[in-house]
Amino acid sequence: MPDNSAGNSAIENSVMRNFIGSRAMPDLVYHSPKEISDLLSMVDAHGTSARVVAGCTDFIPSVRTGRWSFDQELNLIDISKLPVLNQIEKTDDVLKIGASVSLTRILESPEVKVHCPVLAQAVEQMASLQVRNTATMGGNICMASPAADTVPPLLVSDAWVIIQDAQGEHKVLLTDFFTGPGRSVLTSGQVLTHICIPVKKANEAAWFQKIGTRTAVIISVVSAAVRVTISNGVCDTARIALGSVAPTPVRVAEAEQFLEGKPLDDQVIAECARMAAQAISPISDLRSSKEYRKDVARTLVKRSILACREALK
Amino acid sequence: MKMPLTFMLNNQQTTLEVDARQTLLEVLRNQGGMTSVHRSCEEGECGACTVLLNDEPVNACLVLAASVQGASVLTSEGLVKNGKPHPLMKAFTDELGIQCGFCTPGMLMNAYALINRAGDNLLTDQVIRKTLEGNLCRCTGYVNIIKSVHTAQKAKLAGEWW
Amino acid sequence: MKKREERLILGKGQYADDLAFFNMAHLVFVGSPHAHARIVSIDTKKALALPGVITVITGKEVAAHTRPLPVQANFTSKGWTWRLADVYAIPADKVRWHGEPVAAVVAEDEETARRAADLVEVAYEALPLAGDLRTALSPGAPKVYDDWEDNKQVHLVFDFGDPEKAFAMADQVLQVTNREGRVTGVPIEPRGCVGLYDTKNDTLEMWGSFQTPFLSRHNIAATLGVPEAKVKINAVDIGGAFGLKIHAWKENVVALASKLSGRPVKWMEPHRDFMATGPHQRDVFWDGTIAFKNDGTLLGLKATVFHDLGVESTNKGIAALSIFPACSSPTNMYKWVGMHVEGIGTVTNKSFYCAYRGYGKDKGIKFIEAAINQVAKKLHMTPEAIRMKNFIQPDEFPYHQINNYVLDSGDYPAVLNKAMEMADLDFFRKRKKELAGQGRYLGIGLVTAIEPAGVAVPNCQMGGITEARVLITPDGSVEVHSDRTEIGQGAEISHATIVADILGMDMAHIHVKRVTSDFIGQGPLSSRGAVYPASAVAKAAKLLRKKVVQCAGSLMKIPADQVVLEKGYIYPVNAPEKKISYAQFADKMFFFPGPRGLDPEILKAHDHLLDVTTTWYSPTTPESGSSYTSFCVSADIAVVEVDIDTGVTQIVKYVHVHDAGTIINAQVVDGQIQGGIVQGIGEALYEGLNYDENGQLMNTSFSNYLIPTSVEAPDIEIAHLETPSPFSETGSKGMGEAPIIGSKAVILDAIEDALSDFGIRVNDAPATPEKVRKWIRQASGQNQ
Repeated sequence: MPDNSAGNSAIENSVMRNFIGSRAMPDLVYHSPKEISDLLSMVDAHGTSARVVAGCTDFIPSVRTGRWSFDQELNLIDISKLPVLNQIEKTDDVLKIGASVSLTRILESPEVKVHCPVLAQAVEQMASLQVRNTATMGGNICMASPAADTVPPLLVSDAWVIIQDAQGEHKVLLTDFFTGPGRSVLTSGQVLTHICIPVKKANEAAWFQKIGTRTAVIISVVSAAVRVTISNGVCDTARIALGSVAPTPVRVAEAEQFLEGKPLDDQVIAECARMAAQAISPISDLRSSKEYRKDVARTLVKRSILACREALK
Repeated sequence: MKMPLTFMLNNQQTTLEVDARQTLLEVLRNQGGMTSVHRSCEEGECGACTVLLNDEPVNACLVLAASVQGASVLTSEGLVKNGKPHPLMKAFTDELGIQCGFCTPGMLMNAYALINRAGDNLLTDQVIRKTLEGNLCRCTGYVNIIKSVHTAQKAKLAGEWW
Repeated sequence: MKKREERLILGKGQYADDLAFFNMAHLVFVGSPHAHARIVSIDTKKALALPGVITVITGKEVAAHTRPLPVQANFTSKGWTWRLADVYAIPADKVRWHGEPVAAVVAEDEETARRAADLVEVAYEALPLAGDLRTALSPGAPKVYDDWEDNKQVHLVFDFGDPEKAFAMADQVLQVTNREGRVTGVPIEPRGCVGLYDTKNDTLEMWGSFQTPFLSRHNIAATLGVPEAKVKINAVDIGGAFGLKIHAWKENVVALASKLSGRPVKWMEPHRDFMATGPHQRDVFWDGTIAFKNDGTLLGLKATVFHDLGVESTNKGIAALSIFPACSSPTNMYKWVGMHVEGIGTVTNKSFYCAYRGYGKDKGIKFIEAAINQVAKKLHMTPEAIRMKNFIQPDEFPYHQINNYVLDSGDYPAVLNKAMEMADLDFFRKRKKELAGQGRYLGIGLVTAIEPAGVAVPNCQMGGITEARVLITPDGSVEVHSDRTEIGQGAEISHATIVADILGMDMAHIHVKRVTSDFIGQGPLSSRGAVYPASAVAKAAKLLRKKVVQCAGSLMKIPADQVVLEKGYIYPVNAPEKKISYAQFADKMFFFPGPRGLDPEILKAHDHLLDVTTTWYSPTTPESGSSYTSFCVSADIAVVEVDIDTGVTQIVKYVHVHDAGTIINAQVVDGQIQGGIVQGIGEALYEGLNYDENGQLMNTSFSNYLIPTSVEAPDIEIAHLETPSPFSETGSKGMGEAPIIGSKAVILDAIEDALSDFGIRVNDAPATPEKVRKWIRQASGQNQ
């Protein structure tokens, strides 16, 4: 799913390259490793000339639009044929999803439906069937778009990613993964291999909502995910995450803390939503003004908490 | 990087000489002669180049040809049997789910996979609309396309299908 | 019998991108990243050095080898402002909009041409922008064309009827403003063609997505300086057009590239180019005052409509020409005393303006419908009551409207009544009240329209005259030729139906030929198809039928009026057993005509030649000056629900009642209606071309120029009335544009009704969620 977010188009403009409707693909060497060890040695060997892809649904549009260009031959390392990265596993209380699992498989996975339904809810509203059939959650995360719809549900689920390199495996909390639009802690020689999500508990509900200018196949103007746990009618844990309102998808800590320890009554929810909207400073871009983003963020947070409350009844 | 690519194209084992930087769309049109796979946005937004890759609809413009090594690819040409239109195709002509015809082959492939997936469950308008959301059509307003899919499913349930 | 559809569905389409010629080269355009800049220098060395690159064409070559694009409409003689500029397909001096081509790379293959396009080095000196209408019209604004006095391209002034009397008679007046944002038609297939310049014969032939081959030939020949007789333009299968494939300009460069390289050259436009350097439309602001009586009688209008035309059109004068119908169409289907309408067109640093479904006639109708609904509100009348009061009545046709339109036929009240019945207006009005108490906002919109169709404008290339040829070949099959290209609107099946009916033949034997520049006419634009080409074809078929009957009568030794043509056979009315097939008949006429077979008088008059070429021209235009011949009628009623916290609009119900005269093919007509309505909904809710402060177009792909998908498109309930037009050969009326007019207006009206508690005027399309929410916040005094 190409995301021509404002950050990227600004870069394009400042360079003032020729306007070309559709650009040529670069010269490529295509690699399709079957083992993690092969993958890691390829990534290591090719350094900056390597690019890891899974579904290619971001890579190709980025080249066609000129957002990405390459001066040298590119070593394209396709991880979609690695069986070990193509699995959804549940171990004890963690759902582990391989980086090259397609969005469609996530959407249709019984494990995801049971253990992280909020993720399926988000994936259903992403892109088109054709794109979901090839695009992956690993790719959605690595592109580090502020509008990545899988990220808010993962953030509220306290998910982490597994990054592998020649040194071994590293666990990085998703809250620590993004460093800016299109940027993350991932460095050359590293590959994001898995996404790990603590499974949903009994006293817990989560909800995802997004708003775009159109209903279907639309990049979010704002997306919101909420997860709450309740005991004795009082909110125990609250997680609230928003997409497209900051350089990266973000959690809004003040609003979360406000909710914790309180009953989920209408007044509390309204105040929490107000605080969430207050905490963000979105930008205006081609998809929306910052005013609308703040305004609608409040509504989405409110509705998501209400939906959680409804689910917990 | 030139490479031989062997895959099932419309149920026939096919080997083509491709370049690693070619997309499946380019290869199907230029080397494979499958001109029903239409090129428009080249960015995965319009669905005009939809083909089935291992039975699932994908945008051929977003798939690297090199990655379909050993896979099976079905284009709308592959639905034609002995020169005869597939019942799905007949439904689109009967209901006039086709106007300019440019989005049609992609629409057909997505609908074909949908009807196959549905089995005996009757498709609702809502499911058809949601499934076809990535196939843009500017002529029909989608009304007759949805009708065509219903008609085609009826044909399938009546045993006229391949 | 759907020959074309069956061929296409089997994957046998031959679209522009499918064209392949021996030794074919490929062309890719290099566009300007600046919206307004002087071209300081162009360095093509690196591009030319790339293996596989054949040549690079810049503005210098274009200026050296071609002439400025020809003028297509010029109304300077009327004393109005009407400025034209010398425009080339590629400029040599300065660029005037983001994406404007500065060079074209020709290479052995398209990927190489695309690579080389990145290697063309252009140095620019950025210039200040006239980026929008307000800036462009302000004193001292940067000039888009240095030799013009200012950026005003057109200023037209019209007085219809007696506007002063209308306002003198009025009990009240009401000021109404309306804005429509900039949009484009975006068929899914972009433009493309192959040019083949034959250097041995000095002839040029082109194949491609040409909506109007006859006009393209004229304009390409003029640009290249080749006699028109040495140019042929062929339309291939076209993946949608909606007006956007009428005019040729980049195509000139393709032709030139073929001439310079001596090879067939193919150009297939990337969709991003199609949006950034393609025709744009709408982008108007209306400011008007409507005069009326307290009983709801409409009297008059004084209005000015401002157009942001973008750069001087590449189809020179045709963009400006669209201001005519914009100014004329507010009369719609009502009786008026008088109108004074001024149309102003301004050039800005945006892509050019050209035809898109509606062209201009849509604008006046949408404006007046919004205005009338305001009047109704002010007078506490229902929208249907004010219309019923002012409709031209069924017994008043042909009706000479104050703007010279001769309205052909119709039953306006019946169309509206039918729509109200289908929409269950009373139920939804009650429902709106019920839901209001629950914080839900339902709105009902109601709009009626006529669509002026079948254009003929003197003094420009939209002259009207149309040619058709119908012939029976020696094997008894039929060829049909006209200017009506098939762009998905059912041209082939409609022509075949008309001819089959007249000749008493099976449609299987009717072959509607691909359109080439050989046949005169402007093709399918301004819903001409069912008016001009269909009439010309019907007329030719009727003349041919006369010949068939005369010859068959002579052959069968019976009076001509006793000859029956039915199901592919010809027989005497009293002796069906003596039937002969068309094949037998044609064989006789071509190879064994006489003298003992046919009456020698027939031979002497060569009436046995079963080939008729004829022309058709409107019967009303010459005396009235009415630019249009038929006026189909429609009523749209929409029910929407607005989520006031997000601004999102959902369409709950959509009803469209239509009277397009005699229906030739009901499926085709319904398809036009459904498609047009959904395009109008796109314009009403989502679609917008927005330029940033640097003149960069921000919406250049389907991911941010949002057309409706199957999810947003509503179910549409349609009903037809059939009041034949007395002025077309078949009784049919043009109808391709009516649906896009009513649907856009009715959705906006319905949103306004949903927001009636807030007193919001919905007068700025598109009504995106963000905009709706902004209106609500403003109306409720909330600020962030």
